[in-house]
Parts: sequence; structure tokens; C-alpha cells
Amino acid sequence: MKKKQRTIMEPICAVISIFAFLCLWHLGVKGELGRLMPGPVPVIWMFLETMFGGTIGSRTMIVHILYSLIRVMAGYLLGAAAGVILGLAMGWNRLVEAVFSPLFRIIRPIPPIAWIPISIIWIGLGEDAKIFLIFLASFCNVTLNAWSGAKNVDKDYILAAQMLGARKSSLLFTIVLPASVPSVFAGLQVALSSCWATVLAAEMVRSSEGLGWIIIAGMNNNDMVQIMTGILAIGLVGMLLSMIFRKVETRLCRWNKSDS
Amino acid sequence: MPMEQKRQLISCKRVNKSFQVPEGTHQVIRDFNLEAQENEFICLFGPGQCGKTTIINLIAGFELPDEGNILVGGELVTEPGPERGVVFQNITLFPWLTVMGNVEYGLKMAGVPKQERREQAQKYIDLVGLQGFENTFPVKLSGGMRQRVGIARAYCIEPKVMLMDEPFGALDAQTRYLMQEELQRIWQSEKRTVIFVTNNIEEAIYLADRIIVLSNCPATVKKEYVIDLPRPRKYTAPEFLALRKEITDIVDKTL
Repeated sequence: MKKKQRTIMEPICAVISIFAFLCLWHLGVKGELGRLMPGPVPVIWMFLETMFGGTIGSRTMIVHILYSLIRVMAGYLLGAAAGVILGLAMGWNRLVEAVFSPLFRIIRPIPPIAWIPISIIWIGLGEDAKIFLIFLASFCNVTLNAWSGAKNVDKDYILAAQMLGARKSSLLFTIVLPASVPSVFAGLQVALSSCWATVLAAEMVRSSEGLGWIIIAGMNNNDMVQIMTGILAIGLVGMLLSMIFRKVETRLCRWNKSDS
Repeated sequence: MPMEQKRQLISCKRVNKSFQVPEGTHQVIRDFNLEAQENEFICLFGPGQCGKTTIINLIAGFELPDEGNILVGGELVTEPGPERGVVFQNITLFPWLTVMGNVEYGLKMAGVPKQERREQAQKYIDLVGLQGFENTFPVKLSGGMRQRVGIARAYCIEPKVMLMDEPFGALDAQTRYLMQEELQRIWQSEKRTVIFVTNNIEEAIYLADRIIVLSNCPATVKKEYVIDLPRPRKYTAPEFLALRKEITDIVDKTL
């Protein structure tokens, strides 16, 4: 009963709070502020219009979103794969940890956007440079979490597995890897939002499509509606990404939750 | 040729074990001796932190003795291995595997083909009364059911020796009685040599062929009782209560 009430109450509150926010925004820009800030109607209108037919620059909104998403996914997946491998190896093997952890500790606090100038000089202005930056954003977060996950595997699991006859090589894949999954997922989640932030920065510096470009082009043309439309799209896509991510996580980590 | 006696399976000879603590060396086990025959059910009974778990850890091969040696089936124990199944106090199921996944893990490590290991695991899942829960994750099971999986997992590798470290210590009283009965039933249908650690005297008298009473830290054998009451035993039988009083008295004196 209580759960049912909650499932009705939550979407209603969501609708009310979003609607109230839009009303406030609409009323707020009526006066003097309206010269610097468009209201919600033109922004939502532009978003929908450019989504189906109209263009910003030479492309529709959906193409801009796809450009940004493909860049994010390429860098994210590459970084995640490398991060899981390095992180688990560091947590599992003392020698690997001793060799890589000092380097990693220095590289990790550098925000990916700090690499923008050097990536342009090294790699140029093309897609590779953007993917490299996103790779860094993903790689550092995932490595850190995979490392701590593998390092903090409950010692009793190892003992139980050895008692059951597992050799050292099987321990890595049958115990350390699955036991690290929740920690790796926490890293993947942080990495995803970090990658989403990085792609926008990379597109704002140099590109001719993508959501970051929409914002920066809007600023150059003094088009406030376009800027706000870009920001709205960034928020919506980010929200969708994390919703999809949570679904995948619930599926893969279902052993870790007592409810559901 | 004389009638062969039951084969001796475990032998601990003059085992000593200490740990380094900030205050210096802490001796946990002193001059510990134990001989266990095939299919014998032995309870190690002693007060709280007397080093019972350390004895299990030594026989399991999780730790090595400072002095003395431990032989299982004539071979020196140097590392954990599947001929010594352990049932842990905190159960320690692999939470990312289902009941079936946990029970068949040992067979998988031994390279038993899938079909065969499924059948064998199923046999032990049935034995502990968990049919229908094969695809359930441990997080959804109650404490008693989890420990059933723990027992099935250790039984499934068909070890020569079962080491049980206060397996029912974390369960509530009701479940604990039930699990004692269950364990007795399981043991009677699949005989094994069992070393069972407990700090509950009723549990020890109910289950054991032989009770080894340990002194407080450092643990050493204080006294041995052979329990030859017929099974299944009754907690309220006069012989049971007399034994209980006798053993409780000598333990109280050492505290």
C-alpha cells in the first residue's frame, strides 16, 4: 500500500516541480532581466523545432547530440577498458601497484581539460584529440575504483576459494573480478559524468558540431536562445545517460541488493 | 591379521602458535595434541576467545604452526586444499554467485564437466533441504539457509575432513536447534570426519562422538569426553543433563 502511494506521488511531484520552475522562469524574465535571458517558451520551442527538422548551424539537434554522444562513448569505453585492466592489476599484484601507483597519483588530480592545449599540439584539432581527453577522464576514475575494489576484496572470500581448491590464476577471475564489480561500477558512473563534462569543454574549444559547439556558437552570435537550448539539451542527455546507466547497474549488481 | 582399527585421519602433534601483538608475543595455542579417526565427530569446546578458531585455521592451512606439525590423511598441511572443507563462522558465501554457483564452485575449480558438477551439487543442495533455491542469490536467504549453503558447499567437494568453526554462532536460538538436528541428519547420511568448534555445551553434547575441552588462552587440551549416548539425543535426558553439569563445572573452574 505504502509503496503504491509512493509510485503515484513521485511522478506527480516531479511534474509539479518542473512546471513550477518553468512558471517562475517565465515570470522572472518578464522585466529587465528579459533582455539578457530568454524565457522557457522560445527555448523549448527551439529545442523541439531543431530536434525534428530545423537546424542549428548546418545540422539538426539530434545530429549534434549524436556527435557528442559518439565522442563520449568512444573515449569512455576505451578508458573504462584500460582502467579496469590497470586497476585490477594494481589491486591484485604488488609489483604492478608499486610501479604504476606513483605515476597514477600524479596524473589523476590533473583535470582532463588541462590537457586540451597539449592534445591539440600533439594530436591536432580532429576527433582523436577529443577522444583522447575523454579517454583520460574515464580512465582515471575507473582505474582508481577498480584498484581500490580489487585491493579491498574480503580476505575471507580468498580463503574460502582456496579451501575449495581455487588456484591463484582462477582467484583473479572467479573472486577478485566479481567482488570488485560494485566498486568498478561506482567508478564507471563518476567517469560517465566526467566524460560528459569533458566532451563539452573539448567541443567548446574547437569543433563545428556537438552540444558544446551549440553553446559557444550561440555566444559568438549573441544568440541567448541557442545557448539556453544547448544547455537544456546537455541536461536532458546527461539525465538519460545516468538513467540508462542505473538500469544496467541494477541488472549486473543484482546480487548486491537485498531489495528489488 | 588383526582387525584393522578405524583409520586415523587427523593428527596434531605438539602444536604451538603465537601472534605478534603491540604488547609483545601472544601465545594462542600451547602444546596442542589431537588425533581424529575416520568419520569421527569431534567437538572442540572452550571459553570465548580461547584460540579454537586458530586451531581450525591451522588444520585448514590458512595459517601455519610455529612448532609441531599437523597431518591430514598422512600428509603435512602447508596450505588450504579441497580435502579439508571449511564451514565458516561468518558463512562467507560468494554473494555474486547463486546457491548453485556457490555449491558447485569447488567442482568447477577441479575441472569437473558442467553436467556432472550440476548433478553432484544438486545432490548436496537437496541434502541440506534447499531444493527450489538453486538460482537464488545469498542476499535473499535467511541466516540459517545461508549456512545450509555453506555446509553444502563444503560437502560438495567431498573432503576427507569437515572443519566447522562455530557455524551456528550467528544464528538465533530457534534456528540453531534446528540446524543442529539438520547437521546430525546430514552427517549420519554422509559420514565425514568433523572437527566442530563451539562455545555452546549443549550443542557439543548433542553432536559429538568426542568432546575436547580446551583451557583458556593459550589453548591446550584440558579434558576429553567420549559421548556414547545413542542418537538422536535428547537435550532433556538425565544422562545428557548430567554430562552437561559435569563439563560445565570443570570449565567454570578454569575461568
